[in-house]
Amino acid sequence: MTAQTVLLVLAAGVLVGVLSSLFGVGGGLLMVPFMVLVLNETQHLAEGTSLLVIVPTAIVGVIAHLRNHFVSFRHALLVAIGGIGGAYLGADIALRIDPVTLTKVFGVFLAAIGIRTTYEGVKSLRA
Amino acid sequence: MSAEESGGEPRLAPPLTLATGLAAGLASGLLGVGGGIIIVPLLVAFIGLTQHQSHATSLAAIVPIATVGAARFALDGSIDYGLAGLLAAGSLVGAPLGAFLLARSSEGLLKLLFGLLVLAVSAQLLLS
Repeated sequence: MTAQTVLLVLAAGVLVGVLSSLFGVGGGLLMVPFMVLVLNETQHLAEGTSLLVIVPTAIVGVIAHLRNHFVSFRHALLVAIGGIGGAYLGADIALRIDPVTLTKVFGVFLAAIGIRTTYEGVKSLRA
Repeated sequence: MSAEESGGEPRLAPPLTLATGLAAGLASGLLGVGGGIIIVPLLVAFIGLTQHQSHATSLAAIVPIATVGAARFALDGSIDYGLAGLLAAGSLVGAPLGAFLLARSSEGLLKLLFGLLVLAVSAQLLLS
């Protein structure tokens, strides 16, 4: 990586951090397209790298929430049990799909979220 | 009315909670995202947690979910560790900044802006 790329990636990381805590979403929705569109990484590498970044980010988020007692560990445990099986299966399926096709699947998922969030925003502004 | 407002304990509803995890895990592994976008609304709708409780609880569940997904991609050699380190470092600096701005902004406007941003990015991906 050149010094310029290092700075670009750090800046993108800061922006992802700001936007995800501002909009209450995980960074993956933005990190994956950044790696694919700007850094020209494959969809597979972008997804694997994104998941690894999410782990420490989520841990810090949980620690920040410990004081206000918003975390229900009983529910988190059940979600995690179902989620672990789903995550392994989902990753396995992703790695079997051609990366270019997987980018389109990701694009459709993102478009659906964009439509829903825009609609909620308009509704909330009119209320 | 949410459990917090009514003062009662939110119900556990194990089958629904497990199913929420399964759906989120599938999306997480398939798309390389945390899955909070699926977990948060489902915990609000099925379990009756408040938005804040769901958000915090979702983060706790995402830790093991993303770990398993990342491990599967790591087995395939599909992780750039240098890139991950830089993104994580930047993101950890940015998150408190976002939280600071959040306290000073309108929720509807934020949603609208984020929705439009996400739509623009998805168009880029679909047309690329």
